[in-house]
Amino acid sequence: MKRILIVIATICALIGFARPALAFCGFYVAKADSSLYNQASQVIIARDRDRTVLTMANDYQGEVKDFALVVPVPVLLSEDQVNVGEPKIIERIDAFSAPRLVEYFDSNPCAIPSPVPMLESRVGALEDGAIMTGRAGNAADLGVTIEDQFTVGEYDILLLSAEESDGLETWLRQNEYQIPEGASALLQPYIRQNMKFFVARVNLEEFEESGYQKLRPLMMAFESPKFRLPIRLGTMNAQSEQDLIVYLLSPGGQVELTNYRTVKVPSNLELPGFVEEEFTDFYKSMFATSHAKEQKKVAFLEYAWDMGWCDPCVADALSPEELRQAGVFWDTTSRGGGSNVFITRLHVRYTRDRFPEDLRFQSTSNRENFQGRYIIRHPYKGEMDCPAGIEYQRNLQQRLEREAQTLARLTDWDIQEIRSKIDLPDIEPRPWWRRLWD
Amino acid sequence: MFQDARDYQILFLSSFLILGISTRDWTIHPEFLLVTVLTCSIAQWFFTSFLAFWPVWWRREYPVNFALSRFNFSFSSLRSALITSLGLCLLLRANEASTMAIAAFLAIASKFLFRWSHKHFFNPANFGIIAALLLTQDAWVSPGQWGTDGWYLLLFLGAGGMVLNKVGRWDTSAAFLGAYGGLEALRNLWLGQAWDVYWHHLTSGSLLLFALFMLTDPRSIPNATLSRLLWALAIASVAFFLEHALYLNNAIFWALFALSPVTILLDRVWSASRFDWAGFSVNSL
Repeated sequence: MKRILIVIATICALIGFARPALAFCGFYVAKADSSLYNQASQVIIARDRDRTVLTMANDYQGEVKDFALVVPVPVLLSEDQVNVGEPKIIERIDAFSAPRLVEYFDSNPCAIPSPVPMLESRVGALEDGAIMTGRAGNAADLGVTIEDQFTVGEYDILLLSAEESDGLETWLRQNEYQIPEGASALLQPYIRQNMKFFVARVNLEEFEESGYQKLRPLMMAFESPKFRLPIRLGTMNAQSEQDLIVYLLSPGGQVELTNYRTVKVPSNLELPGFVEEEFTDFYKSMFATSHAKEQKKVAFLEYAWDMGWCDPCVADALSPEELRQAGVFWDTTSRGGGSNVFITRLHVRYTRDRFPEDLRFQSTSNRENFQGRYIIRHPYKGEMDCPAGIEYQRNLQQRLEREAQTLARLTDWDIQEIRSKIDLPDIEPRPWWRRLWD
Repeated sequence: MFQDARDYQILFLSSFLILGISTRDWTIHPEFLLVTVLTCSIAQWFFTSFLAFWPVWWRREYPVNFALSRFNFSFSSLRSALITSLGLCLLLRANEASTMAIAAFLAIASKFLFRWSHKHFFNPANFGIIAALLLTQDAWVSPGQWGTDGWYLLLFLGAGGMVLNKVGRWDTSAAFLGAYGGLEALRNLWLGQAWDVYWHHLTSGSLLLFALFMLTDPRSIPNATLSRLLWALAIASVAFFLEHALYLNNAIFWALFALSPVTILLDRVWSASRFDWAGFSVNSL
């Protein structure tokens, strides 16, 4: 009898990529001497047909006055189209969709099973963020036009259009935006495609008045047939791989990349019990191993869920108010009281050479649910005095070995070390002839 | 080895399918594959036999039973149906098996409904895909599904080259890839982008599979070499326009669909003998 019975929630801090990684769609333009580090960038994109609401998480860790962000945008945005979002929403959506660990306890194989209610598991939040610094100055002869400038919340926003990338680069430098060498080559394609540049910096007065400790997310709403996320500027000043988590909300189905493969993270695997204490390490290693296995050129699907269909819900569904904060602008009421929103969480770890193109997305009709889910089954440790108990113990050995091998395969950890960490229950060998005598 | 070039095509397409499912993280339901293959085959059987006796019966020249006796369904035509169904399985994705069945049925039906002087002018799999995208809310195509691995490109080029060599239609693929690659190169120059962006775009497995296996169906494309070249150039240009001016995903499939009827016109201007699988034989390898 090896039935899984109880499920208990586990709280597991997740990814926490503590590596220097720079802004996702834009690039840091900090003062030269500032060392800027941010962790995984996070973006929410809510999109229906040509309408898009883009929310950029801001987990900028440096001096607020040094913060500045440059993002290419497909259309000119007016003041009304830019907003500051609720800081909590990114954490909420991250926790809702993060890969999770679930824990089961084996029952006494000698007892008659009685179902026990399942408790929910929850996963810790991701560290996120991105963004930059500088001060706006004057434009003109350089072919740079300040199309608009306004203040939204604690941010001063400039919308620039440019004729030549050299001019834009010069202008940014003149205005004390420390942009990396060779930025002009990357700016050029955006200028040729008639894209505009959204430049944000912090208005210190407004920031102090707001009373917030941290910068809030920046949101923009626009209409464009381009369903893309520019990442190329972000590859400029990065020495290493960068992590980007994109939460895509659509009324249809899963969103996938059209110019890179979208691959599911390994999921629904049984792992040794000690992973519970090391879940963050486990996930990091597993992600790195899978990423390397795919030649570092795919995006990983970590979560895909139809929020209108929730039986059972893997986590508390987002309320209509939370969906609104995440940028969902369409009518979300749908059949069965759920919401008409499909969420896709993509995790992209990119470098300049493996991800030469910006990310292009398409919304599909694919309504298949998926989650990164890892399972721990705690062996039954009580007294077992029945034939089923002997059977259980025999199978348990094999199961633990299987779990060790799964873990080694996923993470590239040393199998011997894994085995040594597994707490193998002592099993008293019972010779087969005992059955005859007893 | 095989006498009929379609056998090579069946072999290659089914190996790509196995390869895709086993190494590319595709979620394909086995029952969808079965439904697609069965629907294509049944539709093929239905239309061939129905069309064989229908005109005879309609004119009442013969009693029905005589007409039925003339029913000469050839199993050879099932090969084409199988190729169409493999094409659909490789490219089209859906949540419901019924969507695959609709696509499969319409793909085969298009061969019999859209004809001009005994020749169908839509590529059946392409027609099925577009029909499913337009008529259902349930279908999609994943252009990123193959990624951009060099290994796959060589495989597609090798396998595609072999089939094309046998049916003598390599000119179409070459013209299409040349034109599309040229346009993309010009765009890349104009944008001032690094060339690895260009190569990344062009080495998409889906693009190559399209150019080598879908664009070259010898039965539905123009007969004369010159008209095939023009036709391929037109498809490349339209696909380029749809992709970069209208930001359409899967522009190549829409371009092929839109330009398929032009085949009739091209065949009238430049006549050449029509391709026939039966009259075609190859030496063993």
